[in-house]
Amino acid sequence: MTVLAGFLGSGKTTLVNHLLRQADGPRIMVLVNDFGDLPIDEDLIAAKDGDTLTLANGCACCSMGAGLYKAFSTALDYEPTPDHLLIEASGVAEPKRIANFARAEPDLTLNGIVTMVDALNFQTTREDQRLSEIVEAQISSAHILLLNKCDLAQQQNIDICAEILRHVNETAPIIKITHGALSGDIFFGEGRSIDRLSETSNDSHSHTHETDFSRWSVATDSEINKATLKEVLNHLPPSILRVKGIFRATGESDLWVAHKAGTHIDISPLSMDSSFSGRTGFVAIGTKSPDFSNILDAAFHSLK
Amino acid sequence: MSAITVFSAKKIITMNPARPNATHVAVRDGRVLATGTIDEIAGWGDYTLDDSFANKVIMPGFVEGHCHLMAGGIWRYTYVGYQDRVDPDGKLWPGVKTLEEVLTRLKEAEMELGPDDALVAWGFDPIFLMDRRLDKNDLDNVSPSRPIAVVHSNFHLLTVNSASLSLANYVADMDVDGIALGPDGSPNGELQEMAAMFPIMRRLGIDLRELGRTERSLVDFGKVCNRVGVTTAADLINDLPDEDVAQMKTITDGSDYPIRLMSLLNGISQPADETRERALELKGKSTEKLRLGAVKIITDGSIQGFTARLRWPYHYNGAPNGIWNIAPEQLNVLVSVLNEAGVQMHIHTNGDEAIEVALDALEQAKIKKNRPDLLHVLQHCQMADRAQFRKMKRLGVAANLFSNHIYYFGDKHYELTIGPDRALRMDACQSAIDFGVPFAIHSDAPVTPMAPLFTAWCAVNRLTESGKLLGEYERISVDEALQAITLGAAATLHMDHEVGSIETGKWADFAILENDPETIGAENLKDVGIWGTVLAGEKHKIP
Ligand SMILES: [Zn+2]
Ligand SMILES: [Zn+2]
Repeated sequence: MTVLAGFLGSGKTTLVNHLLRQADGPRIMVLVNDFGDLPIDEDLIAAKDGDTLTLANGCACCSMGAGLYKAFSTALDYEPTPDHLLIEASGVAEPKRIANFARAEPDLTLNGIVTMVDALNFQTTREDQRLSEIVEAQISSAHILLLNKCDLAQQQNIDICAEILRHVNETAPIIKITHGALSGDIFFGEGRSIDRLSETSNDSHSHTHETDFSRWSVATDSEINKATLKEVLNHLPPSILRVKGIFRATGESDLWVAHKAGTHIDISPLSMDSSFSGRTGFVAIGTKSPDFSNILDAAFHSLK
Repeated sequence: MSAITVFSAKKIITMNPARPNATHVAVRDGRVLATGTIDEIAGWGDYTLDDSFANKVIMPGFVEGHCHLMAGGIWRYTYVGYQDRVDPDGKLWPGVKTLEEVLTRLKEAEMELGPDDALVAWGFDPIFLMDRRLDKNDLDNVSPSRPIAVVHSNFHLLTVNSASLSLANYVADMDVDGIALGPDGSPNGELQEMAAMFPIMRRLGIDLRELGRTERSLVDFGKVCNRVGVTTAADLINDLPDEDVAQMKTITDGSDYPIRLMSLLNGISQPADETRERALELKGKSTEKLRLGAVKIITDGSIQGFTARLRWPYHYNGAPNGIWNIAPEQLNVLVSVLNEAGVQMHIHTNGDEAIEVALDALEQAKIKKNRPDLLHVLQHCQMADRAQFRKMKRLGVAANLFSNHIYYFGDKHYELTIGPDRALRMDACQSAIDFGVPFAIHSDAPVTPMAPLFTAWCAVNRLTESGKLLGEYERISVDEALQAITLGAAATLHMDHEVGSIETGKWADFAILENDPETIGAENLKDVGIWGTVLAGEKHKIP
């Protein structure tokens, strides 16, 4: 489950539509609790065989979170089970509160909080007394920050925004995007089977580059210590946006799955099902930089 | 011509200033034909005299302008609250005063259950948490194997036993907000907020929203109203899908259903234009006993939960400011869209910043298009200051004030949440009167128990649970309070031309009282006995 937060008009719905439009994506169920002018494109949802649900905020005094209850129970009971739950949080929602559902519910895994910021209007919103705390909470709790509308804003404003974001949230990677466009594997991470590994031979690694992002993978069936892995993932620089891996843990018989989404790290047992390709190893995505592969090669070499 | 029934009474309090009291009321076709003496009424022709209320006092049926259907359904769970309460079937549940009494009641309830049932209790009062907190060990003593869940009175906390914890795989060293841990690092059974409560509630089938949706809930809700003299009640938020509307219509149509029910559409679960279209569509489905078409909009949270939006200087204890359920800018759009289309709005506002934002939105909407046919209502409106009441008057906006809060939460507001200055002006009925703002008072049941005469007692006496007088100035007279729970509330529902007073042409909806609230004394207002109600001339005695 991924929480997409961000203030009204930051471009969340455009991004959701963009993610739904990508052809090879997982089955996504979208829970919406923001109702701006732009609707989620219903055609896209039908085409993807996914669904949207309303995540209505209840009265905090009288409906006691019953709206959240209903949305989550409908989503969890949905047949066939979606691969991914994407929550488009309302512009005034505290993403951490929503993310907590995934932390507590055994049938959900938190894939991170992604907060979208509008480079054009960010400062105005932030200076509104009535909204400043919630804007701050949305930024500080983010595991990945998206700075949108970078084509429309002046470079100077983009820099100021990025600086403020870095000030409020010291660790989350900041990705600059335009038109709310971002590739699905950066937003959602790899699918559960990590198909990309099938193309990588054992103990070898590969990497690809596109305009802004680089991808890297390594296949390995060595036993890995979970605590050491967590350390390594923790110390990766913010330019490494996502890491996902399936591995043999030292002293355990079952396979484990690790994923890192910005600053969010989760290591848990792999629940076996037919979609697992049998391949073990790690994949990563990061912003393009000369030492991208070196950083990852070095980090994962130290594990073996 | 249809038959005329004349009820005699010790006294009839009509709320019609032209004829404030009477000894007889004549009813024809479910409506009030006349009030007065038997001689005056006789001029209307042959009648049947009904003397069953000869020793009772008749008032207009009370109007509860803000409650929730869940007030009926919640009783399927075991009550473990501190205050005495009566369930829909009239059983008295004495308040449990110690943790030991709570556990004894749970044990009794446990023995009644089938082998596969979970034990669910509600109403657990934080007062029990003063010395030590209820935990899983206490509940494991009630049953180690049957899942147990105790819902606290604020509905934001849940305490469960080990059997429940294991259902959701809650184990040691979980680092999840809201799952409280004991000294040994394992969950101690206390769960805070919906995210942590949800996995267990889901597995035990505790769906608070469903509690307001079943046929039995609707029937029980009617019983809850009947017991306290209510003949018109507003269910303040509902998703109102077609199947629920159909069910509500069928049940309320029944001649044995004792109330007129208004149900408000949740205005923030779809885009503004969809809310508008649905509200207009629902309006057309209204019947004599089911009223639809108004919209509820929730802006902030609750004061006792520290989630209300406050203006400077914010919380007395320094807690961070509360939360918005809708962004102010978005509220402006929604309010304008609905006002323009002629949809009545009930806007939930607890904190004074939420009130400010709502009034600004209404002001903008009314500048764009004045709709003198609509009375929009600020619900709760607890922290409004006098300037805000003046603005309500200028804008023609009503307030439904949460007077029960003074008793149930007043001490906490004075000491902790908003501090003395603002606690003294909470739920300011006198200020509403001073500036001529139409107002009602409410219970928000099941948040506090429904009982309009108790709510009136709160507005008149302003005493907290500890007996402190909270804001002498804002006390109102008994007459003014009785007005608030009848005509005042009816006006907030756009129903004051139909109910709220005993007056020719209005529905013959009455509250039948054992004592006279006008003479029993302000301090005893809450103790007035209730026989039952009359709806459209039909008697509904409390069973
Ligand atoms: Zn309410
Ligand atoms: Zn409310």
